[in-house]
Amino acid sequence: MVLFIILAISAVAAALGMLFSRNAVHSALFLVLNFAIVAALYLTLNAPFIAMVQITVYAGAIIVLFLFVIMLLGAEQLRGVAGDGGVWQRWLAGGLTAVLLISFASILFQGNAITPASAAGVIDTSPAALGLRLFEAYVFPFEVTGVLLLAAIIGVVVLSISKKRGQQ
Amino acid sequence: MTVPVEWYVALSAILFSIGALGVLLRRNAIIIFMSVELMLNAANLLFVAFSRYLGDLDGQVLVFFVITVAAAEVAVGLALIVVIFRTKQSINIDEINLMKG
Amino acid sequence: MNAFALAPLVLGLPILGVLFNGFVGRRFVEADRSVGEKWSGWAASIMALSAFVIVVLLYFSLQANGHHAEIVPMMDWISIPSANFHIPWAMQIDTLSVTMMLVVTGVGSLIHIYAIGYMHGDPNFSRFFTYLNLFLFFMLILVSGNNYLMLFVGWEGVGLCSFLLIGFWFDRTNEKGEAMNANAARKAFVANRVGDLAMILAMSLTFWTFGTLNFEPVFDSAVEMFHSGAMVHFGAFSASLGGVLTAITALFLVGATGKSAQIPLLVWLPDAMAGPTPVSALIHAATMVTSGIYLIVRSNVLFEIVRESHALVLGVISSPDLVALVGALTAVYAGLIAFTQFDIKKVLAYSTVSQLGFMIAAVGMGAYVAGMFHLITHAFFKALLFMGSGSVIHGMEHGHHHISHGHGHDNHHDHFDPQDMRTMGGLRHHMPTTFWTYLVGSLALAGIVPLAGFWSKDEILAHASANSGGINTVVYILLTIAAFCTAFYMARQVKMVFFGEPRHKAAEHAHESPRTMTMPLVILAILAILGGLLNFPHFGAEAEAAHGAETAVVAAGEHAAEVESAGGLNLALEHWLEHSIASFHLTEEGVVEMPHTPTTLQIPVATISSVLAIAAIAIAYFLVYGSRPKTADERDPLQATPIWWMAVLPLNTLYMGYIVPAFNRLAEWAAHTLDWAFWHDFVHDNIIRNIFVGFANFASNVLDAQGVDGIVNGSGSVARWLANQIRRSQTGYARNYALSVFLGTVVLLAYFLFMAR
Repeated sequence: MVLFIILAISAVAAALGMLFSRNAVHSALFLVLNFAIVAALYLTLNAPFIAMVQITVYAGAIIVLFLFVIMLLGAEQLRGVAGDGGVWQRWLAGGLTAVLLISFASILFQGNAITPASAAGVIDTSPAALGLRLFEAYVFPFEVTGVLLLAAIIGVVVLSISKKRGQQ
Repeated sequence: MTVPVEWYVALSAILFSIGALGVLLRRNAIIIFMSVELMLNAANLLFVAFSRYLGDLDGQVLVFFVITVAAAEVAVGLALIVVIFRTKQSINIDEINLMKG
Repeated sequence: MNAFALAPLVLGLPILGVLFNGFVGRRFVEADRSVGEKWSGWAASIMALSAFVIVVLLYFSLQANGHHAEIVPMMDWISIPSANFHIPWAMQIDTLSVTMMLVVTGVGSLIHIYAIGYMHGDPNFSRFFTYLNLFLFFMLILVSGNNYLMLFVGWEGVGLCSFLLIGFWFDRTNEKGEAMNANAARKAFVANRVGDLAMILAMSLTFWTFGTLNFEPVFDSAVEMFHSGAMVHFGAFSASLGGVLTAITALFLVGATGKSAQIPLLVWLPDAMAGPTPVSALIHAATMVTSGIYLIVRSNVLFEIVRESHALVLGVISSPDLVALVGALTAVYAGLIAFTQFDIKKVLAYSTVSQLGFMIAAVGMGAYVAGMFHLITHAFFKALLFMGSGSVIHGMEHGHHHISHGHGHDNHHDHFDPQDMRTMGGLRHHMPTTFWTYLVGSLALAGIVPLAGFWSKDEILAHASANSGGINTVVYILLTIAAFCTAFYMARQVKMVFFGEPRHKAAEHAHESPRTMTMPLVILAILAILGGLLNFPHFGAEAEAAHGAETAVVAAGEHAAEVESAGGLNLALEHWLEHSIASFHLTEEGVVEMPHTPTTLQIPVATISSVLAIAAIAIAYFLVYGSRPKTADERDPLQATPIWWMAVLPLNTLYMGYIVPAFNRLAEWAAHTLDWAFWHDFVHDNIIRNIFVGFANFASNVLDAQGVDGIVNGSGSVARWLANQIRRSQTGYARNYALSVFLGTVVLLAYFLFMAR
């Protein structure tokens, strides 16, 4: 319980840090922190495989990619003045977010929002069990995921190559 | 001592909202992408929490798929940002309005 | 063995002719004039003749199957199941339609053949025959359809062909440079629109009332409703059957006045004489203009129910009586106008209007058979007269052509009207065949005893006098006057055209027309002589017995066949047509009481009309025009009474001093003031035209320019303005789109969480 509260507060703090950092590199680092905390929460939720994937894919791959692009483009901070028409949009966005949170809060604190869990005991969530599930029940979506990644790879390559050709 | 699932829902909602605010408020396209990742992460947290809560492994399987899709999305999205930066010398989304009607 | 299956061919053959002449006929004619004209003209004529042969076969088939109406379906036309609206494309072969088809194809064939000679050398030879065949096609649809909508298709189709044929020489202009023929065509078309509007209203009302437009179901349910005294319901309103049928029949009358050139829509027919003479003979004398009579005879059940229910038009007069009165007034009015005409065809045109008035009066009085009888005989002798006049015009044109060539170019520039009777005279020597046939036609039209016109006209007059009382007495008097007028103007015309000495060099050099033109004249002359046999009345005591037997039999309501055999040739047309005119049966059943037409020759009536006719001829021939040939410069005595007449013929002082001038004035007033100044110029050109133009201006400038265009342009600019507003929402900024998505998400979420529980 205490652990959850600590982790939750630090996760929110990291997220807010990402949101309000002026420097994009800082944002990325706050995001890594956030991902790591969420990975820890996964561990407490008895999901070790997902926690590891979170660390390797998100923190390891995705954030590295972000940092790489930020530094490649030198886009730590935006140059030039801010765009117009931001004020009412900010207020609208803030208002909507507030509405969203209030909605969730009202549901959660009504008490009967979520039916109590059935007597589902602790299940086997080991990577082996998850792997079996993936390759048995979800083998077709898994393969489709592979195709999706392939498409992403080809897309990225095409995007960066075609530009060079256009320049020639 | 188990944490009630409602708490996870609340945390997930807060993280999601922060992500949404990031998408809506920031002008840096890369930060917007990060915010999207944060939102996906919030959703993943909810999946895992309910997976645990309901004693069903499928929630974790879905998280696996979400992470895969997110990785692909980030790869393509960052490639797009790089291409846009090459042409416009900016990743400020307020300067990108080619789709203006 | 019957020939009903062949019936669609009656329609198909003229269309075949249309296709031939419309697509390839012109090439034939252009390739080789004389051969091509033969091909083009004879192809059209053979189509008409073949159609005639098939109609004759249909006639025998009807004889064989006991005169039962045969419906020959061809295809479904309109079928709207939700409105229970089914219009088949079917032919109704019964004695009435076969009679009409015999007239149309028979007279039509003769006129086709005649036109081969008449149109010789015309640059648009094959176009003429295309139109002529197309006219036959539509006329046959008109008379053979088994529903009002098909009748209306034919009705409009013949109107179109009439327009095309009146304006056939649309490029001809008069000395003022006005395109008179094209104007006349337009006038006919527009005048007919008025009647056609009434027809559409009548059909709509019929469908609304009876739920169908097919003849037999309409008549059956009308009789049934009349029997049961049912009211007609139009949504929230209801009306008595008599009232509704009065409206329908009155609208039919308006339609008939348009097509059959009755008061008040008669103005187009005299102008229609601008068309080639075969057209005048076929369309504007024998067939199309009689479609109004056909319509009324076809709808006889409706008219008889109205007569029986005593419903009145605007509370004044019942619609059949109105029909009779309109016909009788037209007969006299047109007969008077014919007096002062100098154009050979205009005389015949007004005469046609007058005779159509006879027919309309007859069918209005309930003398359907007499009306049809007069329709048939009139088709014979009026077609004959028109074709004879065409032959005269043809001869005059050739004579003029001849002298123009003889005298070089001097006379080319003088205005010569080959239709002006004042330039004619003495043509009996130059054109003997035309003269004799024309004489036969004139006497038949005048109602001289053994000829066709006498019998048919007498039957109408006999009916009027036998059913006298009320409107019929007025009608009888008016028709007797009209009969007198008829004899008079025909005698005047024959005298001016054929007797005396030529009054113009063209008349001296006129010569007889070719055989394709004279042969039909001879055939029609024979028909004009023998036409009376179609419905020959009974005579004297033997007839009385037969008549008595017939009434007894009719009263008994059976053994009609015995009467038929007893009657023999007498009243053939009546026995033939009574199978189609349902009012005969309904009278036997006691549902309605159709006025009975005398079956014997009414000696007093016949004597009066004959004496009047002979008197009129004598007056015209011996008194008004004298024996001396008139010169072209001499004034027509009908326009100004010469003073010497009163001195030379003291017996006629009274007549010439008072009656003739008064009469002249009346006729002139009718022709110039009433007809042209008042009716044509004032009513039509000023009142109707101005109202119409005013309305058209209103419709075009206000309704259309501001109303309709305003709506159209307004909706356009509203859409444009709206699009501009909406366009601004598409900023191209990803943030705005994301915000919209988020807004939608939150709203949906809130809805599901709070509202949809």
